[in-house]
Amino acid sequence: MKIAIAGKGGSGKTTIAGMLTRLLARRGHEVWAIDADSNPNLGATIGVSAENRKHIKPLEGGILKEAADGKGQRTVQLTIPPREVAQKFGLPVADHLTLLLMGTVDHAGEG
Amino acid sequence: MCGAHAAVRQLLGELHEPNVVTVIDMEAGLEHLSRGTDRHVDVLLVVAEPYFKALETARRCVELGRELKIPRVAAVANKFRSTSDLEVVRKYFAAHKIDIVGEIPYEENIQQADLAGTAPDLRKTTGVASAIVKIASALGL
Repeated sequence: MKIAIAGKGGSGKTTIAGMLTRLLARRGHEVWAIDADSNPNLGATIGVSAENRKHIKPLEGGILKEAADGKGQRTVQLTIPPREVAQKFGLPVADHLTLLLMGTVDHAGEG
Repeated sequence: MCGAHAAVRQLLGELHEPNVVTVIDMEAGLEHLSRGTDRHVDVLLVVAEPYFKALETARRCVELGRELKIPRVAAVANKFRSTSDLEVVRKYFAAHKIDIVGEIPYEENIQQADLAGTAPDLRKTTGVASAIVKIASALGL
Protein backbone atom coordinates (compact mmCIF):
# COMPACT_ATOMS: atom_id res chain seq x y z
CA MET A 1 0.00 0.00 0.00
CA LYS A 2 1.25 3.45 -0.95
CA ILE A 3 0.16 6.27 1.35
CA ALA A 4 0.89 9.94 0.59
CA ILE A 5 0.54 12.49 3.36
CA ALA A 6 -0.21 16.08 2.40
CA GLY A 7 -1.36 19.31 3.99
CA LYS A 8 -0.48 22.90 4.70
CA GLY A 9 2.94 23.71 6.16
CA GLY A 10 2.86 23.30 9.93
CA SER A 11 -0.19 21.04 9.87
CA GLY A 12 1.83 18.19 11.36
CA LYS A 13 2.06 15.98 8.27
CA THR A 14 5.72 15.10 8.83
CA THR A 15 5.06 14.12 12.45
CA ILE A 16 2.14 11.93 11.37
CA ALA A 17 4.14 10.39 8.50
CA GLY A 18 7.01 9.66 10.90
CA MET A 19 4.90 8.12 13.64
CA LEU A 20 2.84 6.08 11.17
CA THR A 21 6.09 4.80 9.68
CA ARG A 22 7.55 3.79 13.05
CA LEU A 23 4.35 2.22 14.35
CA LEU A 24 3.87 0.14 11.17
CA ALA A 25 7.50 -1.04 11.20
CA ARG A 26 7.15 -2.04 14.86
CA ARG A 27 4.13 -4.11 13.97
CA GLY A 28 6.32 -6.00 11.48
CA HIS A 29 5.36 -4.31 8.21
CA GLU A 30 8.16 -3.63 5.76
CA VAL A 31 8.01 0.14 5.43
CA TRP A 32 9.64 2.48 2.96
CA ALA A 33 9.41 6.07 4.13
CA ILE A 34 9.95 8.61 1.37
CA ASP A 35 10.72 12.18 2.28
CA ALA A 36 9.41 14.15 -0.70
CA ASP A 37 9.51 17.52 1.01
CA SER A 38 12.04 19.94 -0.48
CA ASN A 39 12.76 20.95 3.10
CA PRO A 40 13.28 17.40 4.37
CA ASN A 41 12.55 16.65 8.03
CA LEU A 42 11.13 13.14 8.00
CA GLY A 43 14.52 11.62 8.88
CA ALA A 44 14.74 13.63 12.10
CA THR A 45 11.18 12.66 13.01
CA ILE A 46 12.00 8.95 12.76
CA GLY A 47 15.20 9.32 14.74
CA VAL A 48 17.94 9.45 12.09
CA SER A 49 20.88 11.55 13.26
CA ALA A 50 21.89 14.69 11.37
CA GLU A 51 25.19 12.97 10.49
CA ASN A 52 23.46 9.94 8.96
CA ARG A 53 20.94 12.12 7.13
CA LYS A 54 23.81 13.73 5.25
CA HIS A 55 24.75 10.38 3.74
CA ILE A 56 21.42 9.61 2.10
CA LYS A 57 21.65 9.71 -1.67
CA PRO A 58 18.58 11.49 -3.02
CA LEU A 59 16.35 9.98 -5.69
CA GLU A 60 16.87 11.97 -8.86
CA GLY A 61 16.20 11.86 -12.57
CA GLY A 62 19.22 9.56 -13.04
CA ILE A 63 17.09 6.51 -12.16
CA LEU A 64 14.89 7.23 -15.18
CA LYS A 65 15.32 6.37 -18.83
CA GLU A 66 13.22 7.10 -21.87
CA ALA A 67 11.61 4.19 -23.64
CA ALA A 68 8.92 3.54 -26.22
CA ASP A 69 5.68 1.92 -25.13
CA GLY A 70 3.81 -0.65 -27.25
CA LYS A 71 2.18 2.10 -29.33
CA GLY A 72 5.46 3.78 -30.17
CA GLN A 73 4.88 6.62 -27.70
CA ARG A 74 7.87 7.91 -25.75
CA THR A 75 7.56 7.11 -22.09
CA VAL A 76 9.67 7.11 -18.94
CA GLN A 77 10.82 4.02 -17.03
CA LEU A 78 13.01 3.20 -14.04
CA THR A 79 16.47 1.95 -15.01
CA ILE A 80 16.37 -0.59 -12.13
CA PRO A 81 13.43 -2.24 -10.32
CA PRO A 82 11.89 -0.46 -7.28
CA ARG A 83 13.45 -2.83 -4.75
CA GLU A 84 16.90 -2.15 -6.16
CA VAL A 85 16.17 1.57 -5.99
CA ALA A 86 15.34 1.16 -2.29
CA GLN A 87 18.52 -0.85 -1.69
CA LYS A 88 20.73 1.54 -3.59
CA PHE A 89 19.33 4.84 -2.31
CA GLY A 90 17.60 3.93 0.95
CA LEU A 91 19.01 4.25 4.44
CA PRO A 92 18.11 1.31 6.71
CA VAL A 93 16.79 3.06 9.83
CA ALA A 94 15.43 0.26 12.00
CA ASP A 95 14.06 -3.26 11.57
CA HIS A 96 11.83 -3.28 8.48
CA LEU A 97 12.25 0.47 7.98
CA THR A 98 14.04 2.17 5.07
CA LEU A 99 14.24 5.93 4.50
CA LEU A 100 14.39 7.37 0.99
CA LEU A 101 14.88 11.00 0.10
CA MET A 102 13.59 12.86 -2.93
CA GLY A 103 16.14 15.11 -4.62
CA THR A 104 15.92 18.58 -3.27
CA VAL A 105 16.77 22.19 -3.87
CA ASP A 106 20.26 23.00 -2.67
CA HIS A 107 20.48 26.57 -3.88
CA ALA A 108 18.09 29.41 -4.46
CA GLY A 109 16.94 29.74 -8.05
CA GLU A 110 17.13 26.06 -8.97
CA GLY A 111 13.94 24.95 -10.60
CA MET B 1 13.88 19.44 -9.19
CA CYS B 2 11.53 18.27 -11.96
CA GLY B 3 13.67 15.15 -12.34
CA ALA B 4 13.33 14.46 -8.63
CA HIS B 5 9.53 14.65 -8.76
CA ALA B 6 9.51 12.44 -11.86
CA ALA B 7 11.77 9.91 -10.11
CA VAL B 8 9.42 9.61 -7.12
CA ARG B 9 6.35 9.47 -9.37
CA GLN B 10 7.87 6.70 -11.49
CA LEU B 11 9.13 4.75 -8.48
CA LEU B 12 5.58 4.76 -7.09
CA GLY B 13 4.15 3.89 -10.50
CA GLU B 14 6.35 0.81 -10.89
CA LEU B 15 6.16 -0.27 -7.24
CA HIS B 16 3.93 -3.32 -6.92
CA GLU B 17 5.22 -5.03 -3.77
CA PRO B 18 2.16 -6.24 -1.84
CA ASN B 19 4.08 -6.55 1.42
CA VAL B 20 5.70 -3.13 1.36
CA VAL B 21 3.95 -0.15 2.89
CA THR B 22 5.24 3.12 1.45
CA VAL B 23 4.64 6.31 3.40
CA ILE B 24 5.42 9.48 1.49
CA ASP B 25 5.77 12.80 3.30
CA MET B 26 4.82 15.25 0.56
CA GLU B 27 5.85 18.85 0.29
CA ALA B 28 3.67 21.40 2.06
CA GLY B 29 0.95 22.80 -0.17
CA LEU B 30 -0.41 21.67 -3.52
CA GLU B 31 2.43 21.57 -6.03
CA HIS B 32 3.11 17.82 -5.74
CA LEU B 33 -0.53 17.24 -6.71
CA SER B 34 -0.37 19.56 -9.71
CA ARG B 35 2.83 17.80 -10.81
CA GLY B 36 1.18 14.42 -10.33
CA THR B 37 3.95 13.21 -8.00
CA ASP B 38 1.32 11.28 -6.00
CA ARG B 39 -0.61 10.00 -9.03
CA HIS B 40 0.15 6.35 -8.27
CA VAL B 41 -0.58 6.18 -4.54
CA ASP B 42 -3.45 4.16 -3.10
CA VAL B 43 -4.27 6.57 -0.29
CA LEU B 44 -3.92 10.33 0.12
CA LEU B 45 -4.16 11.53 3.71
CA VAL B 46 -4.67 15.27 3.96
CA VAL B 47 -3.74 16.67 7.34
CA ALA B 48 -5.51 19.76 8.69
CA GLU B 49 -5.20 21.78 11.84
CA PRO B 50 -8.33 23.38 13.25
CA TYR B 51 -8.10 26.77 11.60
CA PHE B 52 -9.75 28.05 8.47
CA LYS B 53 -6.77 28.43 6.12
CA ALA B 54 -5.53 24.92 6.93
CA LEU B 55 -9.00 23.53 6.25
CA GLU B 56 -9.17 25.40 2.94
CA THR B 57 -5.77 24.03 1.86
CA ALA B 58 -6.89 20.55 2.88
CA ARG B 59 -10.07 20.86 0.82
CA ARG B 60 -8.08 21.87 -2.27
CA CYS B 61 -5.66 18.96 -1.73
CA VAL B 62 -8.63 16.58 -1.55
CA GLU B 63 -10.10 17.99 -4.78
CA LEU B 64 -6.79 17.57 -6.61
CA GLY B 65 -6.33 14.08 -5.18
CA ARG B 66 -9.74 13.12 -6.52
CA GLU B 67 -8.85 14.59 -9.93
CA LEU B 68 -5.78 12.32 -9.96
CA LYS B 69 -8.22 9.44 -9.27
CA ILE B 70 -6.37 8.34 -6.14
CA PRO B 71 -8.54 5.45 -4.88
CA ARG B 72 -8.89 6.72 -1.31
CA VAL B 73 -8.64 10.38 -0.31
CA ALA B 74 -9.41 11.31 3.28
CA ALA B 75 -8.73 14.01 5.84
CA VAL B 76 -6.93 13.75 9.17
CA ALA B 77 -7.95 16.25 11.83
CA ASN B 78 -4.78 17.12 13.72
CA LYS B 79 -3.84 19.07 16.86
CA PHE B 80 -7.33 19.55 18.22
CA ARG B 81 -7.27 20.94 21.76
CA SER B 82 -10.96 20.70 22.57
CA THR B 83 -14.13 19.02 21.41
CA SER B 84 -15.25 22.36 20.01
CA ASP B 85 -12.10 22.44 17.80
CA LEU B 86 -12.98 18.98 16.61
CA GLU B 87 -16.59 19.92 15.96
CA VAL B 88 -15.53 22.79 13.69
CA VAL B 89 -13.27 20.47 11.67
CA ARG B 90 -15.92 17.73 11.43
CA LYS B 91 -18.52 20.24 10.32
CA TYR B 92 -16.23 21.74 7.66
CA PHE B 93 -15.31 18.37 6.15
CA ALA B 94 -18.89 17.08 6.34
CA ALA B 95 -20.06 20.20 4.47
CA HIS B 96 -17.56 19.42 1.72
CA LYS B 97 -18.31 15.68 1.70
CA ILE B 98 -14.80 14.73 2.76
CA ASP B 99 -14.23 11.64 4.93
CA ILE B 100 -12.21 11.99 8.11
CA VAL B 101 -10.06 8.90 8.66
CA GLY B 102 -8.38 10.03 11.87
CA GLU B 103 -8.61 12.54 14.69
CA ILE B 104 -5.36 13.33 16.49
CA PRO B 105 -5.23 15.45 19.65
CA TYR B 106 -2.72 18.20 20.36
CA GLU B 107 0.08 16.89 22.55
CA GLU B 108 2.77 19.04 24.13
CA ASN B 109 5.47 16.34 23.87
CA ILE B 110 5.10 16.32 20.08
CA GLN B 111 5.82 20.05 19.95
CA GLN B 112 8.82 19.54 22.23
CA ALA B 113 10.23 16.89 19.90
CA ASP B 114 9.58 19.15 16.90
CA LEU B 115 11.42 21.97 18.57
CA ALA B 116 14.38 19.74 19.40
CA GLY B 117 14.38 18.07 15.95
CA THR B 118 14.12 14.61 17.48
CA ALA B 119 11.78 11.64 17.15
CA PRO B 120 8.77 11.85 19.49
CA ASP B 121 8.91 9.33 22.34
CA LEU B 122 6.06 6.95 21.56
CA ARG B 123 5.54 6.22 25.26
CA LYS B 124 5.06 9.89 26.06
CA THR B 125 2.77 10.64 23.14
CA THR B 126 0.22 7.91 23.68
CA GLY B 127 -2.79 10.04 22.66
CA VAL B 128 -1.25 10.75 19.27
CA ALA B 129 0.22 7.27 18.85
CA SER B 130 -3.08 5.51 19.54
CA ALA B 131 -4.90 7.86 17.14
CA ILE B 132 -2.35 6.95 14.44
CA VAL B 133 -2.70 3.23 15.16
CA LYS B 134 -6.44 3.71 14.56
CA ILE B 135 -5.70 5.31 11.19
CA ALA B 136 -3.54 2.31 10.24
CA SER B 137 -6.38 -0.04 11.21
CA ALA B 138 -8.88 2.04 9.23
CA LEU B 139 -6.60 1.56 6.20
CA GLY B 140 -6.55 -2.19 6.81
CA LEU B 141 -2.94 -2.31 8.07
